[in-house]
Amino acid sequence: MLEIENLSKSFGGLKAMNDVSLNVGKGEIVSVIGPNGAGKTTLFNLITGVYQPSAGDVRFEGQSIVGKKPSQIVNLGVARTFQNLRLFTNLTVLENVLIPQHYKLHSTWLSSVFRTPGYRKKEREMREYAIDKLAFFGPRLMSFRLHQPVYVLSYANRRRTEMARAMATGAKLLLLDEPSAGMNPKETREITQIIRRMRDEGGYTILLVEHKMNLVGEISDRVVVLDYGEKIAEGSYKEVVNDPKVIEAYLGKKAEGEEETEIQKAAKMDGRSSE
Amino acid sequence: MGAVLAIIIGRMVYLNGINDRFGTAYFGRAFIESLKLGSLYALIALGYTMVYGIIRLINFAHGEVFMVGAFLTYFLFTLSPYPWYVALLYSVFIAYGFMRILEFFRGNLRDPVVLGGGALMLMFATFMLSTQTVNLIIALVFSMLLTGVLGILIDRVAYAPLRTAPRNSLLITAIAVSFFLQNFGLLVFTNRQTPFRPDTLITNPLTIGGISSNWLLVAIPVITAILVVALTMFVTRTRLGKAMRASAQDAETAQMMGVSVNRVIATTFLLGSMLAAAGGAMWGLNFGSLNQPAVMGILPGIKAFAAAVIGGIGSLPGAVIGAMVIGFSENFLTAVFPRTNNFLGITEFKDTFAFILLIIVLLIRPSGIVGEDLSEKV
Amino acid sequence: MASVSQRIDARTQELAFPRHRGRNILLTLGGLLALVIILWFLEGLGSSKLNQALALFAIWGVATVSLNLVNGTLGILSLGHHGFMLIGGYTTGLLILSETARDRILSSGRSSMNETTLGLSLSRGLDLIGLDALTTPETLWIRFVIAVLVGGVVAAIAGLIVGIPSLRLRGDYLAIVTFGFGEIIRLSASTRIFAPLTNGALGLPGIPSEFGKSVWWTFGFLAITVFIISKLKYSSYGRAMEGIREDEIAAEAMGVNLAYHKVLGFAISAFFAGIAGGLWVSWLGGVRLDFFLFTLTFFFLVALSAGGTGSITGVLLGTALVVFVRQYGDPLEETYALATWLIIAGVTLLLAAAATYLYRTFQRQRPRMHPAVYGLGIVGLIAVLVGWLAPNLGILDGTFRGFGMRAIFLSVLLIVIMIFRPEGIVGRREFNWGALFGERPDQPTDEERKQDAWLSNAQLNRPGGAAAAEAVAEVQAEVPGKPLLETGDEPVEAEDK
Repeated sequence: MLEIENLSKSFGGLKAMNDVSLNVGKGEIVSVIGPNGAGKTTLFNLITGVYQPSAGDVRFEGQSIVGKKPSQIVNLGVARTFQNLRLFTNLTVLENVLIPQHYKLHSTWLSSVFRTPGYRKKEREMREYAIDKLAFFGPRLMSFRLHQPVYVLSYANRRRTEMARAMATGAKLLLLDEPSAGMNPKETREITQIIRRMRDEGGYTILLVEHKMNLVGEISDRVVVLDYGEKIAEGSYKEVVNDPKVIEAYLGKKAEGEEETEIQKAAKMDGRSSE
Repeated sequence: MGAVLAIIIGRMVYLNGINDRFGTAYFGRAFIESLKLGSLYALIALGYTMVYGIIRLINFAHGEVFMVGAFLTYFLFTLSPYPWYVALLYSVFIAYGFMRILEFFRGNLRDPVVLGGGALMLMFATFMLSTQTVNLIIALVFSMLLTGVLGILIDRVAYAPLRTAPRNSLLITAIAVSFFLQNFGLLVFTNRQTPFRPDTLITNPLTIGGISSNWLLVAIPVITAILVVALTMFVTRTRLGKAMRASAQDAETAQMMGVSVNRVIATTFLLGSMLAAAGGAMWGLNFGSLNQPAVMGILPGIKAFAAAVIGGIGSLPGAVIGAMVIGFSENFLTAVFPRTNNFLGITEFKDTFAFILLIIVLLIRPSGIVGEDLSEKV
Repeated sequence: MASVSQRIDARTQELAFPRHRGRNILLTLGGLLALVIILWFLEGLGSSKLNQALALFAIWGVATVSLNLVNGTLGILSLGHHGFMLIGGYTTGLLILSETARDRILSSGRSSMNETTLGLSLSRGLDLIGLDALTTPETLWIRFVIAVLVGGVVAAIAGLIVGIPSLRLRGDYLAIVTFGFGEIIRLSASTRIFAPLTNGALGLPGIPSEFGKSVWWTFGFLAITVFIISKLKYSSYGRAMEGIREDEIAAEAMGVNLAYHKVLGFAISAFFAGIAGGLWVSWLGGVRLDFFLFTLTFFFLVALSAGGTGSITGVLLGTALVVFVRQYGDPLEETYALATWLIIAGVTLLLAAAATYLYRTFQRQRPRMHPAVYGLGIVGLIAVLVGWLAPNLGILDGTFRGFGMRAIFLSVLLIVIMIFRPEGIVGRREFNWGALFGERPDQPTDEERKQDAWLSNAQLNRPGGAAAAEAVAEVQAEVPGKPLLETGDEPVEAEDK
C-alpha cells in the first residue's frame, strides 16, 4: 500500500534522512522505533507532504505522492496524528471529528449557507460517520462529551480524540505518532487494543511510531528501526529486539569481552515480556 | 539593483539634456535632501526595529510617540518659563528618564551615582523650565527624556500585561494606543497645524556649492549620526545593552541567565522613543510646521516601519539602511521624475509607493536586506 | 461496522444531530416579527437622531459581522476593511448618482471626471439594454439595490486580491499587509489614475439618502447579512475556517484546503463590506475620501473586541456600543469649565470602580473590593468633590474643549478589554434558542452523572444492578486508593503490587 524508496532529506548541511526504504502492505501494522532524534517524525512529515524529500520516492497505492500538499495527500487516503497533539483546542469534540470530513463535501459554500437538501443529507452522513469513529473508544467520547470543547478533556481523551479525528478523514493508511505518549499502563493497554481493533474491525493499515516496547511487541506485524536517519534493522519484533545493532543504538556498544550488563539483560527481558 | 541604478542615472542625464535647471545643483540638492529625510526616518525606524526584535510587536503607536516628541519640544521651547509647579512636574519625569539612562552605565537604579544624577537633573530642569525660555537644544533633550518616559509608560500600562497573550491581541492594543495618543494630542496640544520656525542657529541659511538651504541640511544627518553611534555604543558596550541583544535573541534563556527581561524591554522603549522624539523635533524644524496631532505621526510612522522591514526588522543597521532606501525613493525619485511639460510628475504617488514597497518586501523577502529567517517549525 | 454502531447510545444519537429545527425556525420568525414591531415603534417615535443611529447600527453591523468572518472565524487579523467599503461606496455612488448631480459636477469645472466616467450611471446602462422601465424615479429603489450589489461584487474582487498574501504570510505581517492594502486603496483613489472615477478630493455629493437613513432598508440588509454569515459560520465551511484559525497545520493535515478557504473568507467578507460601503454613502448622502479612513476599521475593531469575536451576537452588541458612543457622544466634545471636566473624570472613575466591583461579584472573584476598585473610587470621589466645591481653584479656572473624547474613550476601552477580557463581553457564546430552554448539550444528564464511574471504564457499560457494583469494586481494586466519585463506598484496600 505504501512504498518508500530511497527516501532522503537534508536540511542545509544536516542529513535528517538517508536512503530509507520501507514498504507497508495493506492491513499491516508496522512500527517504527529508534532513539530520539532518529528521524521518525521526519519520516511522517515526509510522507504527509509537510516536507519535500531531497531524494527518493513515496508511493501510495502505486501513485507517487511526492510534491503533493498535505491536504491533497489526505484526499488520497493517508492521515496522521501528531506527536505533541495538534487538536483544534477551542472547538468541540464533535467539531474536531467533523472537520476532517469537510474535504469530501461536494456542496459549494452557497448550498451550505442555504442548507439545501443535498447539503443536509451530507451533513447528516458526516455526523453519523463522526460518532461511528468516536464509538471506537467506548463511551468516553460520547454523549455530552461531543459538545465539550477539547480543552476540558483529559490528556488521554485528547489523544483518543486525535486518533478519532485521523480516522474520520476516511483514510486507509493511518500514521500514528506516539499514540500512547504520556499514558499510564492501563491506558496504554487500552490504546493497544484499540489500535488492533482499528486494523481488525476498521480495516485500517497502520504505520506507527512508538517508544513503549510492550505496545510495539504486542501488535506489530513488523518493526523497522531508524537511527540517525537510516534504517538499521527490519523484521519481526523478536528479531529486531535481539539485533545487536539495535541494542547498540539504544544502549551503546558492548566493550570487548565485557559481560552483558544488567541493563542489557533487563532490556532483553523487557522485550520478551508482554506486560 | 544595478538596473534600477542605470535607469536612474540615465534619467538624470536625459533631464539634464532637456533643461538646464536639472543640473548638478539640482541633483546635488535632491541627494542631500534625501539624506536628510532618510536620517529622520532612521530615527523612527530604529524604535520599531528594536521593539520588534525583543517582543515581536509592531508598535503601531510609535508614529504617535514621534508626534508627541515633536510637540513637546515645541511647547518646551515656546511656552517656557512655566510656573514652578508645572516645571517641577515636568522635571520629575525628565529626571526619571535621565536616571534610566544613567542606569545603563551603573547597572542599577538604586546606585548612588544614578540617584545623585537624578536629583541634579531634577533641580537643573526645574530651574531651567521655570526661569527662562529654554533654548532649542535643551528643549530637545528634555523632550527626548520625557518622550522616553512616555515610551516606558506605554509599555508598562498597555503591552506588559499582554506578554503571554496571542500576538493579534498585542497588535490590536498597539492600534488602540496609537489612536489614544492621536486624540490625546488633539485634546491636549492643539487641533490645528502649528508653525515651528524658531529663530535659531540651525535654521540660518546656508549655501554650499550652489545649493541654498539652511543649516538643518547638515545638522540633521550629523545629529542623527551622533545619536545612532551613541545607540550602537550603548547596545554593544554596556551591560544593559548586551542584555538587550541577548533578550532579542532568546528572551527565555536570557531570563534564566539573570537578565531582567522586563527592565530590558522598558529600556528598549526608552531608547526608541527618545530617538523618535529627536526625529520628531527635527522633522518639525525641517518642514517649518507641525501637522495636527491626529495626522502628523501616521505617514512618517508607516514609512519608517516600511524602512525597518526593508532593511531587515530586528537589525539596527538594517533600519538605517532601509530608512535611506525609503528617504531616497521618496525624495530622489521625485526629483528624477519631476513635473515637466509633458509629465505630471510622481509626487502624488509618493505615499502610496511606500506602502506598495512595504507589501512587496513582505511578500518576497520578509527578512529584509539584512535580516533573519523567521519561519515556523512544525 | 455493525458491532460499532451498537455501542452508540441513545443520548449520543440525540446530541450528534441538530435538533428542534422546526421549533427554532418558528422562534426565529417570531423573533423577526418582534424586531419588526420594535423597529416600527421606535421609528414612530419620530426622533430622526434615533433613526439615524439605528440605521448606522445596521450599516456598521453589516461591516462588523463581515469583518468578523475573517478576524474571528478565520482568525486572520485583517485591517483593511475600510478599503473594501471605499470600493463598494464609490461604486454604488458612481452608479446611482442622479443626473442633476452629475451635471453639477461636470459644470463645476474643477472636477477630474469626464464625460465617460460621469456617464457610468446605472440608469443609462439599464436604458441601453432596454430596461428603461427601471429608470424611472419610482424604481430608484431597484437601481439602488443593484448599485449596492455591484459595489459588493467589485469589493469582493478586491477581497480576492487581498486574500492572496494570506497564503504566504501569518499574524502580524499579514495584518500589516491588509492595512497596507486598505491605505493603498484610499490613497490611490485620489491620484490621477482613479480621480476620473472618484472625482478626487471633491467626492460625489448628492447620493439619495432615503435608503441609507431608512431603518427598514438597513435592517433588511443587516438581516440578510447575519443570515448568510451565521449560516456559513455554523456549516462545514465555517468549521473548516475555525479549524484554520485553531491550527493551520493540523487543518491542512486533515484535508482542509487552506488557500481556498482563506481566499473565500476574504472575498465574502469584502463583498459585505462593499455592501456596507454602499449603504454608508447613502446614509451620508455623498461619497468622499475622508469617509473611509483607517479610523473606520478602528471602530470596527473596538466593536469586535468589546463584543466578542467568537459570536455574531457579541459582534452586534459591540457595534451597538460603538455606534452609541459615536452618535450620542457629542456632548463629550463640547467646551466645559475645567471644574466640570474634573467632575466628569471623577464620575467616570467612580463608574469604573462600580463596574469593577460588580464584575468581580458576578465572576465570584474575591476580594470584591480589590485595591484597584478602592483606588479608582477614592480618586474619583476626590475629583468630584474638588470640581464641585472649588471650581475656581487655581488652574481650574478656565475652559477646555473635549476634542476627540469619543475616540479617547473607545481607545481606552479597547486597551482595557484587551488586558482584562480579550474574549469580549459575550465571549464565544452565541445566542441560540436552545439556551433559553436550558438545553445544555455539553453537560451530563442526572442519569449519566450517577453512572459517572461507568463512563470511564468500558467494562462497566452494562445495564444495571449488582453485577455493576461488583465491576466497580473490581476497578477500584486495580487502581488503589482513589474512590470513584461520590458513590459513598469506602476505598478498597490496595493489594500489594
